[in-house]
Formats: sequence, C-alpha cells, structure tokens
Amino acid sequence: MTGIVTTDPIVSRAPPPRHALALASAIGAIACGALLAATIQSSLMMTLVTQAIITAILATGVGFLIRQNGVVSFGHAAFYGIACYTIALALKLGVMRVEFAILLALALPTALAFLLGLVIIRIPGVAFSMLTLAVGQAFYEFAMKARHVTGGEDGFSVSLPPAILGIPTAWFQNPHSMFVVSWSVLVLIIFGLALIAASPFGRLTVAIRENEERARFIGYRTTLPRVLVLTLSAFVTAIAGVLFTLYNTFVSPDVLHWTLSGSALIMAIIGGPRLIWGPALGAIIFFFTKDIAGDVTEHWQGIIGVILIVVMLVIPSGLGGTLAALWQRRFGHG
Amino acid sequence: MAESHAIEGSKLTRQFGGFFALKGVDLAVKRGEIRGLIGPNGAGKSTLIDVLSGRAEHRSGTVRMFGTDISAMTAQQRRHAGLARSFQRTNIFPDLTVIDQLDIASRAAEMPNIDEIMAELNLTALAFRRAANISYGDQRRLDLALALIGRPKILLLDEPAAGLSIGESLELAHILKDLAARWGVTVLLVEHDMEVVFSICDRITVLHLGAILAEGTPDQIRGVPEVVTAYLGSSV
Repeated sequence: MTGIVTTDPIVSRAPPPRHALALASAIGAIACGALLAATIQSSLMMTLVTQAIITAILATGVGFLIRQNGVVSFGHAAFYGIACYTIALALKLGVMRVEFAILLALALPTALAFLLGLVIIRIPGVAFSMLTLAVGQAFYEFAMKARHVTGGEDGFSVSLPPAILGIPTAWFQNPHSMFVVSWSVLVLIIFGLALIAASPFGRLTVAIRENEERARFIGYRTTLPRVLVLTLSAFVTAIAGVLFTLYNTFVSPDVLHWTLSGSALIMAIIGGPRLIWGPALGAIIFFFTKDIAGDVTEHWQGIIGVILIVVMLVIPSGLGGTLAALWQRRFGHG
Repeated sequence: MAESHAIEGSKLTRQFGGFFALKGVDLAVKRGEIRGLIGPNGAGKSTLIDVLSGRAEHRSGTVRMFGTDISAMTAQQRRHAGLARSFQRTNIFPDLTVIDQLDIASRAAEMPNIDEIMAELNLTALAFRRAANISYGDQRRLDLALALIGRPKILLLDEPAAGLSIGESLELAHILKDLAARWGVTVLLVEHDMEVVFSICDRITVLHLGAILAEGTPDQIRGVPEVVTAYLGSSV
C-alpha cells in the first residue's frame, strides 16, 4: 500500500499566524512612536530614550539567539562594534561613500557570525558562551592596541557627509528624529523576527533547541539552521551598531567590550528572552532604572543586579513573559 | 541469489573500555517482519538499536539495509533512506505543539501524512496542545508518531510501551501490528513487556551479555530452557 492520505484532512495545519494583525500592530506602533516624539519636548529625555531604543535593538539580537538556539553569547558586542568601526574607518580613510560603508557595516559582522558559527555552534552551553567572550574580547584588544588605525582607548570621531541617502545627516543626530528612525527600525525588526519565528524555519530551530538529537533522527541536519540563527542575530546587532554610529558620530573600544554584551544579556533576561519583544522591553527598563538610580547613587549597577536576581528567582520568564501570561489569562490568547 | 533482508547487522561489536556491549552480533530481519528483541538489562538491546540507527558507532561489523551497506551513513541519512526509530526515554519537542512537531517531521520526510498519523495514533484531539502539557501515554504515542511520519520502511522501537499501563501497552501493540501489516513496514522492537512482544512479534531474538542466546518464533522461544530460566520465568 503506497497511497498517502492527503485529502479531507482532519487537521490541515496549525491556525494561520495572524500576520495581518501583526502588521497592523507594527504600523500602529510606528505611528505611536512618531506621536511620542512629537509630544515629548525634552531633548534630554529623547536622547535617553533614543539610546535605549538603539540598545534595545542590540538586546533583541541577543535575545533572538537565546530564544531560537537556547545559547547565551557574551560576544555580541563584537558584531555591534565591528559595524561601528567599519563605518568610522571607511569614512576616516575615505575609501567609500557612506551608503556603501553602511552596507559593509551590516555585511561584515553578519559574514563573520556565519563563519564563526560554522566552527563554534556545535559547542554546547557554557563553553559556547566562553568562546564568544574570547572572540569578542579579541576584537576589543585589537581596537585598544591598534592605535594608529583605531585611535586606541581614545577612539575617534566619525566624519559623516551632509546627507545620507538624500536624508540630511542632522536628522540622525537630532534625538527626536533619530528616535523615530530607531523606533521604526526596532518595530520592523521585531515584526520580521516574529514572522521568522512563526515560519517552518523558526519552528525547526526551536525543535533543535529543544531536542537536537531527535531533530537529527527525524531527518534534519542541525548545524546550518543554528548557524543561520546566529547570523541573523548578528545582523540585527549590526543594525544597532550602525544606528549608534550615525547618532553618536564617535567610536571607541567600549563598543566592543564584553560588558556591553553582558548588559544586553541582562536586558534580555529582565524582559524575557522567550518573547521576541521581551529583550527590547528589558532594555527600556534597564535604561530608565539606570537613569533614575544614577541620580540617587553611583552604585546603580547594584540596583540592576537586585532587579536581575528578583526576576530570575520570582519571574524566570521575565517581565515580558509575565505580561504575556497575564494577557493570555485575561483574553485567552497570546 | 539470496534474498536481501530489510535490516541486517553482521558481526557487530561495540565496546566500552574493556566491556563488550555487543560481541559480534549477527541479526537479519526480513521485510515486513515484526522482530522482538528481548533480554535482561545490560544485554545490549538498546546498544544494538543505537548501532543500527547510527546513533552509536560500532567497532567492527556492517549494517545493511535492503542489501546496501549503510554503516558509514549518518543518522539523518539513514532516516532519509527509510530507517526511523523511537527512543527508550520519551524523545519529543516539549515546547512545540503536537501538530507543529509532526509538521516539522513531515517536511524532513517530504511526505505530508500528518493527519493520517494523528488519526492512527489518536492524537488528533491533541493537535494544538503543547507536547509538555499532554499525558505521558500521549507523549509516548507522539514519540512513535514522529518515527512513523513519512512511512518509514524500517522502524526500530526502543521500549515504546515503557511506563504505560497494561491497557495502553496492549492498545499500542495492536496499533503497531496493524500499521506494520498495512504499510508493510519492518519492525525491530525492544520491549520488556512480554505480553506485548509475544502477542505481536513474528520472531524473537534473545540477547544476553552482548550475544544472541536464542532466536525463533514466539512458541520456539517459549521452549528454550535457558531463556525461560535466565529471563522469561513464568511470565509467558
């Protein structure tokens, strides 16, 4: 008997993802961002929020890796920092137009993550984290030591042309307009990652995260999907690096340091790494806590630490996870 | 010309340090046969399944599938060739819904028979439940469903009834027997539940300390004094 039952399915497929609803939500969120920028007059506040949003993109990249691959990276600052330095050095050396420099700044860390992933993605748990830490710190040390190129510890200013893609560069340095740009990019990234997570590829990577051996025994090669998740995660991180450079017009080795990766990881855990938008929420909480606590004490890291401990012990799914659970309980769907 | 067996292991040896888990085991299972593999704990049953499925490497010997040497194939390649397996411990994807994991399996097998498998294994009502939230018996059937997606030619089952109630075990046995007959699938079944083994197997191989102690039909196995003394007792 070779006939396969394909007609009149009892359960044809999972309910279709609510793509239209998600797209409408994304458009609504972008509109709300523009409204918020128009409402808040304080440049200081907008500067803080814009920096929070750019870092939220970095945290979203780190969180996506945790969500899909179940591994923790302490080296994502390398992808972020390489994007920053690529633009800065390309313009400093005058070898290409800023538009190409931006494309290169996105391509280089993404390609590096792919090649690195082919080597290290099979390494499990803590060893993977330590390897990413080592790779990230290698780039940091290089930036510190190669003073003639990078300016060493002092870093250097980035000379942007008057316009980028026909848009006045001043837009990217104004906290109000840059907030709208960064917020829109963040919303589109979350929307795109949510689509990927709901796709067959996204479900496969979750399956591999859950049980790699079983995935092999149902017929999958498990390495490449995991490498692609790392690559995508690095690409998102590189976008944050590009935005940071356009906004701050300054780079220093701090953008490569492991503490930046560690902060992004803390943001992801506080917000909830199992949700696409959780790390972004964590980043916003992180920045505002830092700002408020920083006014009271110079030991603001201690307060972040307490929040982290409380979240891990009391709500391990993060604040976003808790909010999602409450929403589900109230309205019956997530 | 000799008939090629569905799955055949020749002189299979697997060693852990100084301990031989398999000592030159020869096993040949005919097409469409349900073969039981029994023996006390540590006999080498799961090791043999692991070697045949590509989960574990063997020190010497060959594994053939329908006459083709598959010894060098990875587990993933063997799956695509039509060799599927289940595991001693429930081996599913807890965070995914039942239908999502079957969908993933069917994409690898390039055969969309999800609805058929769910209906055969009474999983249809659980389609949209997370696997972590269904009962243990349902998880065992889901484990089996993952192996059955794509209608494999050969099915290696490592204690599929472990942890199930007597009723659930017998129900699973009947499903297996029925599917094997209708699909023409060859089954190698490791199982401690002798009622299941003796009720559905065409032939039984008894392993003891990494070597074959006896082989034959259920009636023949019942009549081997060493097997009765060493393993079966009065259970069958």
